[in-house]
Amino acid sequence: MIAQEQKPMEEILGYLDGKQKVVVMGCGGCATFYGTGDKKAVNDMAEKLTKEGKSVTKIILPLGISACEIDMSAAYLVKNRTALENSDALLMMSCGDGVQVVTEYTDETMGITKEVIPANDALGLVGGGPTKFKETCQSCGMCELGKTAGICPLTACGKGLMNGPCGGVREDDKCEVDPDKDCAWVKIYKRMEKLGDIKRFEQINDPHQWSKAKRPRLFEIEKEVNPVAMMLGSLPAYLPLLGRPKIEEK
Amino acid sequence: MGDEVYSDLMRELKEGEYVFTGELEPEKAGNVNEPIRMAKELKGLVVACNVTDNPQSFAYVNSMAASYKIQEEAGMECVYQLRCADRNRMALLSDVLGAGTLGLKNILALAGDHVSLGDTPDAKPVFDLDSTTLIKMIRTVVDEGKDLGGNEIEDPPKLHVGGAAAPGAAHLKAEVAKVRRKIKAGVEYLQTQVVYYTDVLDKFFDELGNVDTPVLVGIFPARTFGQADFFDKFVAGVDVPPDYLEAMRKTKEIKDKEKRKEEVDRVNVEFFTGFLEHLKGTPAAGCHMMAVGYPRIIPELKKIME
Repeated sequence: MIAQEQKPMEEILGYLDGKQKVVVMGCGGCATFYGTGDKKAVNDMAEKLTKEGKSVTKIILPLGISACEIDMSAAYLVKNRTALENSDALLMMSCGDGVQVVTEYTDETMGITKEVIPANDALGLVGGGPTKFKETCQSCGMCELGKTAGICPLTACGKGLMNGPCGGVREDDKCEVDPDKDCAWVKIYKRMEKLGDIKRFEQINDPHQWSKAKRPRLFEIEKEVNPVAMMLGSLPAYLPLLGRPKIEEK
Repeated sequence: MGDEVYSDLMRELKEGEYVFTGELEPEKAGNVNEPIRMAKELKGLVVACNVTDNPQSFAYVNSMAASYKIQEEAGMECVYQLRCADRNRMALLSDVLGAGTLGLKNILALAGDHVSLGDTPDAKPVFDLDSTTLIKMIRTVVDEGKDLGGNEIEDPPKLHVGGAAAPGAAHLKAEVAKVRRKIKAGVEYLQTQVVYYTDVLDKFFDELGNVDTPVLVGIFPARTFGQADFFDKFVAGVDVPPDYLEAMRKTKEIKDKEKRKEEVDRVNVEFFTGFLEHLKGTPAAGCHMMAVGYPRIIPELKKIME
């Protein structure tokens, strides 16, 4: 998921200075899990903006409907066409992906050109939960995990070194950059040790091929995605969730 | 290690002489007058001097420019420190070719401290290569006349590449395994991070085992209490002994400048006598004296090694 946190209200109000009618749109994807685009977050934001004298229209996306998945979220934009047309700005409570997908759709498909303002800062692809998350993957386009015992040094090492550790490991195997973070390369060493394959640690890893991350990346998939059918068809598969284990967070 | 010898430092290492190197630090200034002055004082005492590259991620005069000026104006052979923190692989290659063009003969290939630790913390950290792949790149450039992409280099530079090791690393086994990677990559000598404890050094050499690559052991005789305190607090992998730190702290109380200098020298000679006596019995090929701005202590310390 894409972790995110809400921007300081001061910054948001700065962007909205001089803009009276505001559409606030949430996101039923990642932003819902982080409480930055769910129903409550949208309601709270609307309340704060109303107190600032703004006139607010809310677009709340239910769980599973991500703002960035335009095939789904477009329905909610179209339903609110009049409010969008009459607004001075659209405040997006999603990651930057949601902001830009909605900007492009409203602008180029709906023909409505409005100022679009981000309410959140996206913080990367993270894993974990229920309350603690850790950035693990940066979607570099050339996965190196097969060389590094399943721990990505490009993301988990403060310097992103392909051949570590650097000389800055702290006494408790933490990183020189941040004493709260583990040294990725010491973790890789320990995992290779447990795997009984420590000689692999001495192999030189080639420099990462950043050509695989030429931006912006565009791609197509062959089969058309029908998210509604996917959601309904997979309902029985959710049954194990009823007995899900309690996660002990470190 | 290749057979060619391009620098005085490498000649001494190959001939098995006990090697002494020094350290010069360019400043945040539009000139390198002070390092040149220091280099002149160090002439004859050390075979070469490292010229630091944005140490602790504080942005100073470019190390290549400083190394060139110091070699030209002080006649001191330089070890051009080159770190991966600020340059991608293209810029690193350009700099290696530039160093060769300017007649520099030694490069110390470093990853470098993270930019967030220095005086420009909002800079984008690069680390496109790491110390191991930089070493490999330099050896490929020098020995094969090719860059990392296999592109031919006309009249490739003739220079040597060293690498760093951290005997005080928290996880010594992982550190030494990384050092072995550097050896595989073709590093021609190793220079350790500053060490103050003989047992730390012994454990490092034990873990490293027998290797052909010569090792220079880094020591840091501090000129002031502030320097020693900074190392203790801010340099990762370095523990400054409390007794030494306390003795250095007490020198601050001496009002008379000359007497204070004498006492600082006495504290350093007293502390390092034991360390250097011990060093003679280790596999070290020499000693890197990181006495920045403190050339007068070097003859005193060299006496101990005689």
